[in-house]
Order: sequence, then structure tokens, then C-alpha cells
Amino acid sequence: MVAVGTIVWLSSELMFFAGLFAVYFQLRSVRGDLWATQTEKLNLPFASVNCLVLVISSVWCQLGVWKAERGQKARTGKLLDLKGWGMREWYVLTYLFGAFFIAGQVMEYAELVHENVTLSSDAYGSVFYMATGFHGLHVTGGLIAFLLIIARTFTTRRYTHANATGAVVTSYYWHFVDVVWIALFATIYILR
Amino acid sequence: MRVETKLFLYLFVFFVPVTLIYGFWSKWSEPIGVTALVLTALLFALSGFYLWMTGKKLPLRPEDNASGEIEDAEGNYGYFVASSWTPLWLAGSGAIMFAGLAVGWWLFIIGAFFGVVAVCLWVFESFHGEYSI
Repeated sequence: MVAVGTIVWLSSELMFFAGLFAVYFQLRSVRGDLWATQTEKLNLPFASVNCLVLVISSVWCQLGVWKAERGQKARTGKLLDLKGWGMREWYVLTYLFGAFFIAGQVMEYAELVHENVTLSSDAYGSVFYMATGFHGLHVTGGLIAFLLIIARTFTTRRYTHANATGAVVTSYYWHFVDVVWIALFATIYILR
Repeated sequence: MRVETKLFLYLFVFFVPVTLIYGFWSKWSEPIGVTALVLTALLFALSGFYLWMTGKKLPLRPEDNASGEIEDAEGNYGYFVASSWTPLWLAGSGAIMFAGLAVGWWLFIIGAFFGVVAVCLWVFESFHGEYSI
């Protein structure tokens, strides 16, 4: 039930981002001159590293899901014994990678504002911050969800099926946000 | 869940050529429609793929059986809290936060404080203490 509801909600989220993509392509087709000058200011190497970090975080998330599905909530061995890691450890690692991504986004925004790309500077600035900003808010929401899911492993005595379902649907959301970023990255940084 | 899967995947198969026809007809000069159609196709693919994956995991359901009886579908449908006020607290916090966007950030911050409390109450409602699920 929870999983089906999450997927239905993610479908509507997809349409939300579809709207942002449509705005981007519309403005790009009308104001090609803005795009020619403003996309020059993007820092592709930095954004690529940031993108890679987010994609890798999805891998850690999935490793955590497999542990959750087997009902292993915490590590069985020492901290550095990766094979014994449970869902909690992998989710903490996912959280750290996600937090790194958000920190990178903030630095990128600061750099772009210095070069006069702001939310109110022009059409390019508006759509750039709207698209990446809404995505950033979604990642932040995902980070909060990870904290709550990790906290749940401490408040219950047994790691039940309901607990695991919570972890799995959080991973659905995280993978979704990750895929949206790949599309946004391809559109904004590579296609320009 | 074969019927549900087909319902979505047929529409995916329908929207792929529609996108191509639209694109060629408009000489790929009108990006909004193309984007919208590609994403519509992907939306159906996402839902269809999920239903297909879920259907593979589940045994045949009573509604998949043409000669099934109503009582075949009885049983446990999932866990539902008997009674809960926490969604109301969260909705109220959300209302204050959105009002804050119009009124001022001070109200948003007050709403966010209530929101954090409400989210924690809801998330941990069934996941703490003696009767946690």
C-alpha cells in the first residue's frame, strides 16, 4: 500500500518537473541570445563531480535497501567491515553524499550570483534557479526523510516489515530525484 | 496485475510514435510539446514498469481470476492507524507555512517549527514504544 502510494505520488512529481523542463525549453527557444552568453558562466567540471556524487549516493542507497529487505538494520561487525554493514550505515553514507551535493549546489549558486546570474537577473537566471532550486529542495526533503528513517531504526525494538517498507519507499524517492538530476544535468550543463 | 500493466504500457507504446509524428510535423522547432509528450510517455512507462515489477512479485490476485468470488479478496490489506490526529497537525503547520510565504518569513519560521514537531509525531506514531508495528 505504502509503496503503491509512493509510486503514484512520484508520477505526479514527474509531471511537476516536466513543467519546469517545458519552461526551460520554451525560454531557450525564444531567447537564444541569453543562453549564448549565460551558459558560458556555468562551471561544468565542478557540476560533473557534484552530479557523480549524487549518482553514487543512489548506489549506497540501494545497498541499504537490500539490507533492509533482509531485515538487517545495523552493522554486525566493526565500523570498517563494509560487508557487515546494515541499512543504517548505508543510509548514513547516502545522507553524507546527498549533503555533499547540496553543499556543492550552494557553492555553485554563490559563484553564479557573483557573475550576475540571479533569480531576477534575466530569463536564464530565473529558469536556472527555478529548475535546480526545486530539485535542490527535493534533495533536501530526501535528506530529512533519511534522517527520519534512520531514527526509526532506533525507536523500534524489532526491525519489522513496516520499517523496511519505509526504507524502501525512501529509496524510490531518492532514485527518482537522482534520475531527475541526470535529466536536468544533461539539459542545463551538456545540452545548454 | 497484468491488466493494469497493459493499460499503462499500451499508452506508452502509443505516445512514442505520437511524439515522433509531432516532432517531424513541427520540424522539431516547437520544444514544449515534444518535451511534454516525451515525459508523458515516460510517465506511462514508469507506472507500467512498476506495476509489471509488482505483478511479478505477487501471486495471481482474486481480481485477475475471471471466475473469482468476492470473498476471495478478503484478508489483510495493510496497516492503518485506528485513529490519528497527526495529519491534521501537519496540515495546519503547512497552512501556516504557506500563509507565511505571503505574509512574511517570520510566520513561515513559526509554521516550520510546528511542522517539524508534526512530522516527527506522525513518522514515529506507530514506530515507538510497546505497540510499535
